[in-house]
Amino acid sequence: MEQHVMNSIEQSLNNNQPLSSQTLASLRSLIINPTTSDSSLSSLLDALTRSLRLTRDSVFLHHCLKLLTDLSARRPHLSPFAVDLLRSDSLFSSASPRLVGESLSALLSLTSSQNDIDAARFVSLCLGPSVPVRLWLLKNAEKFAIRESVLLAVFLGFTRDPFPYVRKAAVDGLVKLCKNGDFNDRDVIEGCYCRAVELLRDAEDNVRSAAVRAVYDWGKLLVISSEERNKQDSSDAVFIQLCCMVRDMSMEVRLEAFEALGKIGLVSEDILLQTLFKKVLGINKDKIYKPIKVFEISASAAAGAFVHGLEDEFSEVRMSACYSLHTFTVFSSQFAGEALNLLMDMLNDDSKIVRLQALNTMHHMATCNHLKVEEIHMHSFLSTLFDSCSVIRSATRKILKLAKLMKLELFKLCIDGLLGNLETYPQDEVDVFSVLFHIGRNHGKFTVLMIEEVSTELEPAFGGKLGFDSTRVAAFLVLAISAPLSNESDVCGVPSRIFSYAVTWLGRISYALSDVMNRETLLAYLSKCSRSSTISLADFKIKEALPTVKGDMPSHLCSEVGSPVSMPLWQKGVETFDHHHQKLFLGKSGTHLEYGLRECDELRQSVNLVFRKVKDLWSLVQLGCTNEALKAISRACKEEVASFTTDSPGSAGAVAFTLQYLRVIKLLAAVWEHLMPTKKLNCYGVGKLELLLGKLDRRLREIRNKFIGLSKAEELQILELIVVACLLRLSKIEICCYDTAMKKLSSIISHVEILRKGGPIEPSHFIIEVKKLLNDIGSSSGGSTCKPLLFKKLIDSFSLHQFVLGGSPRHINAELEVPGNDSENPLPFIPGIPASIPLAITLYNVLSEHRLWLRISMGEESTQFVFLDLNLIRSSDEVREFTFVAPFYLTPKAISFALRVSIGIECLQENVHQVKAFGGPKRELAYLCPEEEIFLCKSTKW
Amino acid sequence: MAIDSLVLGAGQEVGKSCVVVSINGKRIMFDCGMHMGYTDSRRYPDFSLISNTGDFDNALTCVVVTHFHLDHIGALPYFTEVCGYKGPIYMTYPTKALAPLMLEDYRKNMDRRGEDEQFTSDHITECMKKVIPVDLKQTVQVDKDLQIRAYYAGHVIGAAMFYAKVGDAAMVYTGDYNMTPDRHLGAAQIDRLQLDLVITESTYATTIRDSRYGREREFLKAVHTCIAAGGKVLIPTFALGRAQELCILLEDYWERMNLKVPIYFSAVRNFDRSLINAPGPCVLFATPGMIVGGFSLEVFMQWAPSEMNLVTLPGYCVAGTIGHKLMSGKPTKIDLDKDTQIDVRCQIHQLSFSPHTDAKGIMDLVKFLSPKHAILVHGEKPKMATLKERIQSELGIPCYCPANNETVTVPSTHYVKADASETFIRSCLNPNFKFSTYSSVDKSYLDSKYSKAASGLQVSDERVAEGILVVEKGKKAKVIHQDELLLMLGDKKHEVQFAYCFPMHTERLQKTRTEELPSADTLLCDLDKCTLINQLSMKLSNELSDANILDLGEQLQVESFRVSICSKNSCPHRLSHSVHNDSESVFLCCHWSLRDEKLAWKIISIMKSSSPHTT
Repeated sequence: MEQHVMNSIEQSLNNNQPLSSQTLASLRSLIINPTTSDSSLSSLLDALTRSLRLTRDSVFLHHCLKLLTDLSARRPHLSPFAVDLLRSDSLFSSASPRLVGESLSALLSLTSSQNDIDAARFVSLCLGPSVPVRLWLLKNAEKFAIRESVLLAVFLGFTRDPFPYVRKAAVDGLVKLCKNGDFNDRDVIEGCYCRAVELLRDAEDNVRSAAVRAVYDWGKLLVISSEERNKQDSSDAVFIQLCCMVRDMSMEVRLEAFEALGKIGLVSEDILLQTLFKKVLGINKDKIYKPIKVFEISASAAAGAFVHGLEDEFSEVRMSACYSLHTFTVFSSQFAGEALNLLMDMLNDDSKIVRLQALNTMHHMATCNHLKVEEIHMHSFLSTLFDSCSVIRSATRKILKLAKLMKLELFKLCIDGLLGNLETYPQDEVDVFSVLFHIGRNHGKFTVLMIEEVSTELEPAFGGKLGFDSTRVAAFLVLAISAPLSNESDVCGVPSRIFSYAVTWLGRISYALSDVMNRETLLAYLSKCSRSSTISLADFKIKEALPTVKGDMPSHLCSEVGSPVSMPLWQKGVETFDHHHQKLFLGKSGTHLEYGLRECDELRQSVNLVFRKVKDLWSLVQLGCTNEALKAISRACKEEVASFTTDSPGSAGAVAFTLQYLRVIKLLAAVWEHLMPTKKLNCYGVGKLELLLGKLDRRLREIRNKFIGLSKAEELQILELIVVACLLRLSKIEICCYDTAMKKLSSIISHVEILRKGGPIEPSHFIIEVKKLLNDIGSSSGGSTCKPLLFKKLIDSFSLHQFVLGGSPRHINAELEVPGNDSENPLPFIPGIPASIPLAITLYNVLSEHRLWLRISMGEESTQFVFLDLNLIRSSDEVREFTFVAPFYLTPKAISFALRVSIGIECLQENVHQVKAFGGPKRELAYLCPEEEIFLCKSTKW
Repeated sequence: MAIDSLVLGAGQEVGKSCVVVSINGKRIMFDCGMHMGYTDSRRYPDFSLISNTGDFDNALTCVVVTHFHLDHIGALPYFTEVCGYKGPIYMTYPTKALAPLMLEDYRKNMDRRGEDEQFTSDHITECMKKVIPVDLKQTVQVDKDLQIRAYYAGHVIGAAMFYAKVGDAAMVYTGDYNMTPDRHLGAAQIDRLQLDLVITESTYATTIRDSRYGREREFLKAVHTCIAAGGKVLIPTFALGRAQELCILLEDYWERMNLKVPIYFSAVRNFDRSLINAPGPCVLFATPGMIVGGFSLEVFMQWAPSEMNLVTLPGYCVAGTIGHKLMSGKPTKIDLDKDTQIDVRCQIHQLSFSPHTDAKGIMDLVKFLSPKHAILVHGEKPKMATLKERIQSELGIPCYCPANNETVTVPSTHYVKADASETFIRSCLNPNFKFSTYSSVDKSYLDSKYSKAASGLQVSDERVAEGILVVEKGKKAKVIHQDELLLMLGDKKHEVQFAYCFPMHTERLQKTRTEELPSADTLLCDLDKCTLINQLSMKLSNELSDANILDLGEQLQVESFRVSICSKNSCPHRLSHSVHNDSESVFLCCHWSLRDEKLAWKIISIMKSSSPHTT
């Protein structure tokens, strides 16, 4: 059979006749047959090649194409030949654009890598009359390696096509291009944006919804490329433009519009508020935006956008609108307040998903402390506690855990609601108790008032018998016992016998409160409270001993600011306990440790929340709104992190770490700002940037070296930040010290490699890209050619991941003091003769393998390093307290002078660095404490 | 061509909606309503304005009714059975099903009040037989030229907007509609159409309503608080419309909150009266809505004395009804008649559900449809005037609000059908887009308000614009490609050429030559010409670095610009013949076509500046 077919092929080819369709059919059977030998297949390929030269008949070409695809699909080793043949001109230069399109798609399906169809051919095919081919090419344009500028022109051109699907494909192409491409030309951005805006009025739904995406994406670029002072306005204008689409008749378009609205981060408050009112607000009347020249949009167009979304006919749109609201509630409390009015109404929605989303949005508002529940809301809000869907109920309770209620009436309504919930759905008991406990702790005074009111219910009714069969009583007891743990000061109104009543419920209560404390602690706590008639200092200590639940709590509730150094809690607290309890607690020190750990968990949760916020804020930085982001980060530093308690073991480290991380991010953001395309770097700027970069390096060095106990994943994230810092330096030729920076970069990358080999962690895409680039640079040229653009592009691909704190890092820290020394009481010295300086040093978490140095400097001119040999100091690793007499050799010939002393840790992971002073550290130092000033005065006694 | 809209009813008022629109020879009557406020001749539209002779069948092509409310359909039986219209009537299926019930109900009421009967029960049946029901979005070919199509309008069940098209002229009549959905009806939904005219209702021409959720919340809260305290809730409603919405709302709430309190509907089946005073809470829907009598009054008399109970009132109550008395301040006693007095202690809750769109909804719809003209009906005169101003200023659409019996005439679109040549079609198939900056943009592409404002980079696709419309006498119009024009006209191509001849002082340029030559009168020999041209060429290529300068020996060519030395004594292109016979001048004769005008003058100025003095 094989032979027969081959012969007939030979024959017809020798006669210069194209293959008949019959022959082609038999060829196909040969190809499909798995037993056909390779040799006959390759001669078959030859035959095809030859006959392709003979004829240009489109039917034949079509067959041929099919054969080649089949062949390469079935015989992968022959595939390269088939692909070569496909690539050859005979198919591409066919008159039928359809055939060309098919051969292109065949090529694409066969080769995985990007295809090298040249731009001219691509464009000419696109411009050909065949609409399907055009559509196909536009949809698959990114699979060909074609220059962005060509693609841009083609896409932009075809947004004018009379065929709606071609227009849609072109707009989609523009969106993709905008996401992947690198556009700095303001004209191009404006042109594309304008075209997208025009297409918002297209007659076809599909095109309009694609245009909404395009307006969002190109709008983003428009904002980035705007001048600093116009950024806010441009962003507002894009937002309003999208708002115009929420009244579209097509559901898809509306959905798309709300999704886009939710993604715009930066909108001014006036406009945001306008979206919640159908009437045009006074402040927005006659407000006209001009995002680009001669292009106007009135602020009134935003009127009621969210109102319309929330009362949309389709639950998808309503949900999307609910979801979009939550991003904006972070920025403005006024907006959050107004939005809450609308959201509360959504709780009556007939769709469960919408109700749930509304609750989630409220929860989000509660976590950023923007939830202000008022009386008129209470009915709809509390009615969700009776919802037949358990998910809805639990979502509501989650919000209640965080709620901060201003009035007693509201508090009572909430408690009533919870009790009602308990009554209707007894299965919710555990969660309801837990909520009662939390809500009681958040509102200590109200709780006491409430308990006073209901105390008769809690009393034994007849003959010393308690009404303990009632769950309601149990609920009140849970509420009551939470009061002494309240964060509000001086709450001591709960009668002590209540606590003893609660003991009888120990099992149920401790089960419900298992996320807060375990049974033993609860028992200890209850018996303690029931014993003393008044709340004593000891109780107060117990309050501290118990973990504060901050997981989701609005941070302002926790007012204690702990000392930066962690002291193991039970060491402090136990002293004041009476003997019995001391025994109890000491006996249960294991449990205590557990609490410590659990508390750490909670702290970690809140810390991670802060990290998430930082990650969200980073998008602002990338948009170029650095000031806003910096402000928000500072706020996070000052208010939230500062409010974390640090008095449990291990928490101080986490807090210190968080602060350090925030500092790093702040600097990174500040440096980032200088790399925005609009920012022109002047001489002044160079200096400033250099300064910032220096600071950033120092902070990074600190975060890398001053913490121990970081997991590999955590370390990797820090390394990634260092890589970014290196790249930032490299991307500016003006400040880049190419060789040093490159050396540092490669050393970091190799460190990442080591980390990766050691465990199952995957470096991010960004790191992989950097590695690739380093390899490319290393292989392409040995010379030190600067490629700032390459680095710049890499940086653009960087996006901040959320830092996840898994363990509890320990903070290496030091305290340094010269007892009794100040400018009035200087230390004596004799000029020219070394002076001794007695230093009281406390080191925390320093391990014996660490190398510590004392840096003693006098003015700017002379600096001296003294090595601190830790082996000489016998103490535990955690806290070392000792006195060290440091010599200072170069005493000047002066009557008095001041020295600045600080302790630095040698950064073991840094490269060995040439340090000027002889005998000093070989590597860079990260300083563990602020510089201490020491005063010396010429001794008058010889 | 024009569209005439004769407003027979609902012009600057609410009631008896009726607009007769004439488009391209077709006459459509939209709605045929009655005014509930009058009992005299003003109750019905003045049909005599349609036709003096009463021959309505020839005067009207069809009647279209948007929904079953009496102010939109009330006069229909009168018009068909009494006035004698026998042509087609179109309405949606639900409207057709419900309209007889409404009409019959109204007729009975009229009877009861002892008014003159305008039409009988048989009239209604006969009238409904003439009705042709349509589906939403179904295109109905009324006759050869007239197409109508119904779109969903919200408002009440079966309500529709109607699109009508005759030839190229198209319009939409909205009837009553709602742009926001509620529990049982969606929002109005319509395609983006090419329209000459939109006639829209404007009940709330200046009101902007809050979200319906607030109203729902208040209602549910009132009902829930009442039944939670063990009270009874009376909801007097009309059988159709809000009752359904409230039912759905309550049902959903009941299910969600797991409530077991019974809800009764007295209108659906005979209600067991013993349940009225059964112990325990309940909710009862009872007709009629404004507590004028019937069952709702009966229940009200029993429940009103207890402060635990609740009565909800509809948004609007006619003066004189108990509902109206309850609304206007909370009375403690209501005198039903001389003998009966009701002690009112129950709670009162007023509903404010409305099925009409608000001002923003009207604006949104008009903006979405972007018609060439708009007419407002079904609203109050001063408010309509405000909305009219807004539509004109904000949307730039001419807007009218005619009074009853006025006619508004707007121009309509008329397309001329044209053949297209093959070359033109082929050129249309291939994209042919151009990029330009906005300063040189062809204004014909700026179709919308937005693109006018476009800037920077612009793209245009000229494949259609390049055609030429040829209308020959007695023949059908034809669109051809520009290349075909000459062929078709059998004419030659003419081109505008510019020519200019100017003297050039050659002293500097050719010092050596002039010395040798005896006189300047003598023609320069060929060689000299070439040298001069050559020198000019050098000069030009220095100045114009990017131009393609061709030196053709005796002449110089840049694009279409040619320059040569003029050998004629009196060149027609010379500006002045009285030019001084400068012995050392040669004349340069230039030719160029229009497209290179700028270039030409630039070159000439360069050449002139190279000679010491210019003419």
